[in-house]
Amino acid sequence: MTTTMTNQTAHSAGYADRLLQPDWAEIAKITPEAEGVVSYWFKFLDPAIQSRYHFAPGQFNMLYVPGCGEAAISMSSDPDAPDGLLGHTVRLVGNVTKAIGRLKVGEVVGVRGPFGAPWPLDAIQGLDVVVASGGIGLPPLRPALHHITHHRDQYGKVTLLYGARSPKDLLYQNEYEGWKQAGIDVQVTVDRGDESWNGRVGVVPMWFYNFRVDPRKTAVLTCGPEIMIRFVIFEGLARRIPAERIFVSLERNMKCGQGACGHCQLGPYFICKDGPVFPFSALEKFVNVEEY
Amino acid sequence: MCPEDDLFTEVQKIPWFRDLSEKHLKFVGEISHLRRVKIGEIIFREGDKEDNVYIVLEGRISLDMYVPARGKIRFYSAEPWEVIGWSSVTPNVHQRTAGAAAVQDSLLLAVDAEKLRQLCDQDHDLGYLVMRRLANIVASRLLVTRLQLIDMFGEPSEKKNA
Amino acid sequence: MPEKSLTIGSTVALPKTEFNALLADLRQEGFQTVGPHVQDESIVYTPIETLNDLPRGIQDEQQPGSFRLVATGQDRYFDFIPGAQSWKQFLFPPKLTLFHARKEGKWKIEANGEPQPRYALIGVRACELAAIQVQDRVFLRQDFYDPLYRARREGLFILAVNCLKPVATCFCVSMGTGPRLQPGFDLCLTELDDLFLVEVGSELGRSLLAKRSFELPSAYIQNIANQALEHATQSMGRTLDTSDLPGLLMDHLEAERWTEVGKRCLSCANCTQVCPTCFCWDATDRIDLPRKVTVRERLWDSCFNPDYSHVFGGNTRPTIRSRYRQWLTHKIGAWKGQFDVLGCVGCGRCITWCPVGIDLTEEIAAIRQEVKS
Repeated sequence: MTTTMTNQTAHSAGYADRLLQPDWAEIAKITPEAEGVVSYWFKFLDPAIQSRYHFAPGQFNMLYVPGCGEAAISMSSDPDAPDGLLGHTVRLVGNVTKAIGRLKVGEVVGVRGPFGAPWPLDAIQGLDVVVASGGIGLPPLRPALHHITHHRDQYGKVTLLYGARSPKDLLYQNEYEGWKQAGIDVQVTVDRGDESWNGRVGVVPMWFYNFRVDPRKTAVLTCGPEIMIRFVIFEGLARRIPAERIFVSLERNMKCGQGACGHCQLGPYFICKDGPVFPFSALEKFVNVEEY
Repeated sequence: MCPEDDLFTEVQKIPWFRDLSEKHLKFVGEISHLRRVKIGEIIFREGDKEDNVYIVLEGRISLDMYVPARGKIRFYSAEPWEVIGWSSVTPNVHQRTAGAAAVQDSLLLAVDAEKLRQLCDQDHDLGYLVMRRLANIVASRLLVTRLQLIDMFGEPSEKKNA
Repeated sequence: MPEKSLTIGSTVALPKTEFNALLADLRQEGFQTVGPHVQDESIVYTPIETLNDLPRGIQDEQQPGSFRLVATGQDRYFDFIPGAQSWKQFLFPPKLTLFHARKEGKWKIEANGEPQPRYALIGVRACELAAIQVQDRVFLRQDFYDPLYRARREGLFILAVNCLKPVATCFCVSMGTGPRLQPGFDLCLTELDDLFLVEVGSELGRSLLAKRSFELPSAYIQNIANQALEHATQSMGRTLDTSDLPGLLMDHLEAERWTEVGKRCLSCANCTQVCPTCFCWDATDRIDLPRKVTVRERLWDSCFNPDYSHVFGGNTRPTIRSRYRQWLTHKIGAWKGQFDVLGCVGCGRCITWCPVGIDLTEEIAAIRQEVKS
């Protein structure tokens, strides 16, 4: 039942016996995204590692700031980006992420990864895909969107639902048009807007009330605040989308990323190793138990 | 105002009116009219005593409230097939508690709420269907409002490692 | 007995007077001999040199929340049941330097390249060996293995001892781990009044034993030992019905009992420290003032630690009830799916060393009772 090798790449397997020792990558570019949210673009110092490193959408790295510690941050960039830069969109709220927030271009962080189960983009080929995200839940889904746009004919109808607190909190706004051009139905909503906001005001799960899905051929990929996820799942199941086809990315306290330190456990799963992406059918038993 | 037949056809298409018999659809058609609005146009304001219930057919209508020192806050948007102004169907409230403005060029079906109430009083079968639909709307608005209230994207006071 | 007929599986009678030489030989081979020693009215595992360092004439009485040494006046060394400490501190140290990182222009890492000590563990009980073997599944996997644990584990000499006098908190029989040692030791002793019966478990054990003078044990002596072991098997202080585990716990995460035990538990983390299979750890960074040299260390952690399940926005296990439930449903539940065995070996330490005397065998029985009714 424990997946040992399946989520490891040839590269990340190299960290199996290194007891948290990272490789070093320098910051090539910094992009402010919204208040308190910044994207960092990394390049490994060692060109051999840089060329060998590859990740699948949904995976994460452990980013290490010496003197501070490590944080698990999902990759948010295109895995096939021509410039090869590794992008992480980070919300600066904790000790480690705030320390990352103080770094400048040219400075170096430790990187271990890629770890974790990715979005099942191969398994959902041929299906309609609803990507339901909110807030800082969009970054881990963005590589999946890149993959879908690069292989658009492999998927049916693709819808991006994205919610944020207010218009100024919406991430990647300058990319929505490009995604629309690539054949993705982009539906953005905010919890509340001001007079200048002509878009939707509401919450992501309510989209299911306005639009029909064919439960026989729809898959859902969802990431965001757990309460949003809970209602996306609720609405998806209510429309008869099978729990096996609703995929969730969970967040727990991750310290090692390799299923060794115990912190991220949920029931029998190590979120870092067996997840963070799970079909909801695997989680049903545990996520509805309060404080489990 | 459109010819009766066209209106009847429009009304028939609306999911809200599914389950209504032909007789009921005719009644509703007689007390409704289509209204086209341009982006920015105001459908009603907070405090207005106007008495229509609207179904959005095309476009998008945002509901808003004015908060002193914060300005106009849009707290909900209605997409096609959604209903706004439903509170005028139930007699308690006699003025608008929010404003409604078109944020896209839109087409609305406006139904005279007082006449609808009279129809429901006379024909309880119609009344029951209308109230059932209303209850569904209220329930889903309540859910959206609760999720907005929880402020799931907010900054909590506790901040620690990562 | 001629040296060449000593094989793996042989059992010999070793006079107690030969034992110190055996320990000396181990040290000669480069092992650090560590074993039980009376200290602070308890028994700890510490470097020992001779039989004299062992708890001679000592037994103990253990109850929930209670541990008392008792003097027996007998010239026996292994009548006690181990105390709070387990052998895990030697393979998985409570504090371990992982690496140093130095900033000279860019950051450079110096891994912990210290040669790892080779320990000879003197007096390993059946439950303790089972616990080591459980931890082997945790620390030596394909997708993650601890090279320092591996080095220590490969360099380990296990001198095991069969338990003859279980105490009230023992339930190794229920967990299928004891009281008789199963394979995995180098040498295994069964103590009689004047001698040790020694079973050979490995080539290393055989070659060390071969240097001592011993005899073939008589059938009479073998019988006494077997009877004593049989008696020990029948005298377990507690039982745990495992027939419906892990399902019993994993399927009843909302049982009332969790709330009840959550009121008693102090979340003090004693149980996770004394448990020989608990493996959770945390990593910390200590940087010097100029911010040029940092040390990354690994420390024992515990799921009872309130910060353990901290996430952005709060804590997924904010109550003691939820943390106790996590510990027990992991140990006797989820562990099975993760490592193919249950995490509990029946040593009873968590029962003895819980300051409020929470007994997991009682908790599980209570949940079973609640579920049935």
